[in-house]
Amino acid sequence: MPCPSDRAVSLSRLRAWIKQFGILAAIVIIAATLGCAKPTFLTTTNLVNVARQISINGILGVGVTLVLLTGGVDLSLGSVVALTGVIAACFAHPGVYPLCVPLILGIAAGMACGATNGLVITGGVPPFIATLGTMTVARGLAQVISDGRPVSNMSPAMIRLAGDVGGIPVPVIILAAVALAAWTMLTNTRLGRHIYAVGGNENAARASGIDVRRVKMFAYTICGALTGLAGIVLAARINTGQPNAGLAYELDAIAAVVIGGTSLSGGAGGIGGTILGALLMGVINNGLDLLNVSSYYQQIVKGIIIVGAVWLDRRSSRKEG
Amino acid sequence: MKRSALTLTAFLLLSLGCNQPPEPSKAASGEKQIVIGVTMMNMANEYIVGLNDAMAAQAKASRVKLIVNDAQRSAEKQVQQVETFIAQKVDAIILNPCEVEASSPAVDKAQAAGIPIVNVNSETSSAPTAFVGSHDEESARLAMEYIAARLSGKGEVVMMHGYMGQAAQIKRDRGARAVLAKNSGLHLLAEQTAEWDRAKAVTLMENWLQVHGDKISAVFAQNDEMAMGALLAIERAKKKDQVIVVGVDAIADALQAVKDGRLDATVFQDAKGQGSTAVTVAVRLANKRPVEKETFIPFQLVTKENAGTFAK
Repeated sequence: MPCPSDRAVSLSRLRAWIKQFGILAAIVIIAATLGCAKPTFLTTTNLVNVARQISINGILGVGVTLVLLTGGVDLSLGSVVALTGVIAACFAHPGVYPLCVPLILGIAAGMACGATNGLVITGGVPPFIATLGTMTVARGLAQVISDGRPVSNMSPAMIRLAGDVGGIPVPVIILAAVALAAWTMLTNTRLGRHIYAVGGNENAARASGIDVRRVKMFAYTICGALTGLAGIVLAARINTGQPNAGLAYELDAIAAVVIGGTSLSGGAGGIGGTILGALLMGVINNGLDLLNVSSYYQQIVKGIIIVGAVWLDRRSSRKEG
Repeated sequence: MKRSALTLTAFLLLSLGCNQPPEPSKAASGEKQIVIGVTMMNMANEYIVGLNDAMAAQAKASRVKLIVNDAQRSAEKQVQQVETFIAQKVDAIILNPCEVEASSPAVDKAQAAGIPIVNVNSETSSAPTAFVGSHDEESARLAMEYIAARLSGKGEVVMMHGYMGQAAQIKRDRGARAVLAKNSGLHLLAEQTAEWDRAKAVTLMENWLQVHGDKISAVFAQNDEMAMGALLAIERAKKKDQVIVVGVDAIADALQAVKDGRLDATVFQDAKGQGSTAVTVAVRLANKRPVEKETFIPFQLVTKENAGTFAK
């Protein structure tokens, strides 16, 4: 079946490449500056460190990229991270269940949250409201399940999910696998093209026979599953399931996505940009920590970069359009 | 959702309270049971949950009724909750303040309405009828003195702050600095906030280990959540034998880590003592009996030697 938005897709892809090159240049310049100011920054161990620190935000970013591409939004990420982390931690005590149990339950819980979002949204509730509701419910559930206390005593197998394999942190391997799978899906499958089409123009997509409902359900459910995965990785990283973990993680993830050039109104952008966006945020956070810059300034810098990136993005698309 | 959970909690507590036999002296005089309104800073915090448990236990023992609200870190919500308590004509209020300044109107309103108000754990700039808590400076002083003793007064220390500007952060900072000032051999190598958060502390410690490498001889974290995070990062870098890690609060996780010889020390803040004393003081005030204006519950240093006595 010919897709009417194929031309638009290839155009937006070209645009995305240009934008990504811009972010890549920004990352290189910032990294070089930090390297001069603090030679430790450019050591292999520190760069591995940066990769490890962006992996959770990166996994969340990949998931929410799918949602933003359909023109939606997901504010429930942070709370679902806490919920799935707590659930996984409850089943990860040493010598009770094999590792696959907390893994499957954590991801399944995330999928359930995502599918709920999808159902409510395709039922007619705006994404902002629907996911705001899930955000509150998931946080409450996390507190109910954990009784407001961190769930600790985690098996070594679970903790190893935050460890290293051959010098590469496991969370980084997970992020790479997730990003590669999502990238392939978006660029090489019909479902991927449909996601762009729904976000570009929902009515046109529907008119051309795309099952908009199914596409949206898919995007939110996968986003939920990846959020569950991120929740598990976070729990492994801090050796506990924390009911108050993940506060405002959704905003960091959405920031990474928009810095990476994905449009908040949907239809344009991609996974590569999201990974670069997360990398840029991670590099800045790590570099400013190394320079012992107060977290006050770190927030200011982060805010300026988010707005600056989107502003540049808008300017370039206006010129091209 | 949260509101209905609150209502449910209040309802459950109410029905619990109703099932209690009335206080003997009260029954004799035919008066109604004493009702105390409680607003807690943040029930997602393990220490505050412990404080609440201690209050509930003491209320049961004293046969008074508690109405517990969670302010969820919002001082504005806390002021509203106190206004509701005043409208309900409770006999006394226990306030676990979210913030020094922003929670003060709650104290002023209760005072104006003639209802006694007891601040527990943290302070407000307005003076309550009574205060029950601990000197936060003392906790940091105990922790830092332990570090100084272990290092024989010489070494490089890093400090993780809580939320900047919160009473506990300001006081623990002050207490730590007082010890640093007395030990000219102790040098503060770096300091940064990790916002009381374990995940943020892991990241911050990883970054510090990158830049300061083998120079760091001790970490003082202003709470145990951050100390546990720092500990994880240091253990993963296989440097625990070179770095002393100390926290404050003695949460269950940290006590276990001290017992296991992973965490060097923490400082026990007596949630049970604070919670039960707050209820006792509030009951005395409701009965128009005299109370101490300020009751300070002492901190205790917890190391591997005495960790067993603090079991939870």
